[in-house]
Amino acid sequence: MHYIYLVTEKRSAILAATLLMMPALVSAQWLNYPTAGVPKNPDGTPNLTAPTLRTADGKPDFSGIWDTPKNRPCPPGGCPDQEVSQEFVNFGWSLKGGLPYQPWAAELVKARREQNGKDDPGSHCLPIGFLRLHTDAMYRKIIQLPGLLVMLNERNASFRQVFLDGRPLPVDPNPSWNGYSTGKWDGDTLVVETNGFHDGEWLDRSGSPLTSEAKVTERLRRVNYGQMEVDVTVDDPKAYTKPWTVKLPLMLVLNTELLDDNCLESEKDIPHLVGK
Amino acid sequence: MKMAAVAAIALAASISLSAQWINYPTPGVPKKADGAPNLDAPTPRTADGKPDLSGLWLLEKNLPCPKDGCPDMEVSREFVNLGWNVPGGVPYQPWAAALVKARREQNGKDDPGANCHPTGIVKETINPFFRKLIQLPGLLVILMERDTVYRQIFTDGRPLLTDPLPTPNGYSIGKWDGDTLVVETSGFIDGEWLDRAGNPLTESGKIIERYHRVNYGLMELEITVDDPKAYTKPWTAKVKEFIQPNTEMMDYFCLENEKSISHAVGK
Repeated sequence: MHYIYLVTEKRSAILAATLLMMPALVSAQWLNYPTAGVPKNPDGTPNLTAPTLRTADGKPDFSGIWDTPKNRPCPPGGCPDQEVSQEFVNFGWSLKGGLPYQPWAAELVKARREQNGKDDPGSHCLPIGFLRLHTDAMYRKIIQLPGLLVMLNERNASFRQVFLDGRPLPVDPNPSWNGYSTGKWDGDTLVVETNGFHDGEWLDRSGSPLTSEAKVTERLRRVNYGQMEVDVTVDDPKAYTKPWTVKLPLMLVLNTELLDDNCLESEKDIPHLVGK
Repeated sequence: MKMAAVAAIALAASISLSAQWINYPTPGVPKKADGAPNLDAPTPRTADGKPDLSGLWLLEKNLPCPKDGCPDMEVSREFVNLGWNVPGGVPYQPWAAALVKARREQNGKDDPGANCHPTGIVKETINPFFRKLIQLPGLLVILMERDTVYRQIFTDGRPLLTDPLPTPNGYSIGKWDGDTLVVETSGFIDGEWLDRAGNPLTESGKIIERYHRVNYGLMELEITVDDPKAYTKPWTAKVKEFIQPNTEMMDYFCLENEKSISHAVGK
């Protein structure tokens, strides 16, 4: 399965129609299995505003399955099966003036937009890079251990590791899609720093670039049982004139489970990805 | 022989090694008097007294190297043919025997793994990449270096599904039998390859794994293939995995800078 999202409203309906009408993965199975230990309201419904869970050492526990907000208006023809967030389409949509692109980066984004984003690595079943794993419409499960935070993403059934064991960031790492991540606590906020990306990653469907010079800081905060916030700061002077920060909310999902998604499985779209 | 060569070429493609977290010390490794890791130390246990399977593991490399030297990434005999050691050979149904013969004659060019598709839980277990097991209450997670994919094994008592949506990894539950974790998996897609030989797994197939951590450094694993559509009776492979202290997984993506698929030809 393989999905593509729209940069322009006009194409959005067409692309949604042609590319989002994948077999809906909803059949009665572990998708309805109850989550253990959910705090309840007096009437038995989940109490999503209950206090943040904590680990044995008193730190907030981010463990759980999380979903992105559906903050993007649906096209007149109706919502696609898989609604994406504004940040998935344009990471900097909430910033006044948008992302502070360097001139070459602004040109690149314009060119990518004109080409319908056909070269998006994600559309070619390559990894989408870890920042898009926060904005992707598919679920992610966080597992918090002493010394390690693991994020499992439905998309391509992939994982990311954030080391909390005090190790330093590598100095000259072999570049990778997810980079190298370490986290430290600042009160109840987990501050995650990442370096070691390779060139050519897309931060969003608009094609906002991330270069090998980038350093990314994420500040994770679990507001209450049902909600967390990730403040993402991208410091990439090669592509952006100044560091910028975007706040990404995530909502807890209960009584369900991840389903494997494999982009290459029965993949028929790639030859049909055309530009102008 | 040809099979081994193909495996060597396919696996030597993109090996990324540089000095970084792959040399970072693992905390809590039992030590000998001289400071070396004590791999014979007792099996660690979780709070509930069960063996803790957590750790970074690598399959035993038991395939002899060719005369001109070992490949960068050595594979196991099981990777080449999961059933190499089954007494009397793998009990194929006639169509499956014919299929394996045809796949071998074609140098295994249609192997899903060689085409960067998911390889399924068995081949993920017998490939020469690292696997990190994370044992939690109610869940065992396996992170795999190859394509940085994960697999979940639920140990929270939920039953296997009766009519699941087929997936490459299927659906796994685990139960303890004494100190052995018995994992059952069903719900596979049709067309999976268990190994480079092309031994098939069908959507009716069931895989039973028995994980037994013998001591700190050694895991014994039995893999039973119960797939009456492809085999006349269930058959079992026994493999060993070794703990890998003081290192870490690296991201590997089959599709990244992929140039091999178009050169994968049959006869």
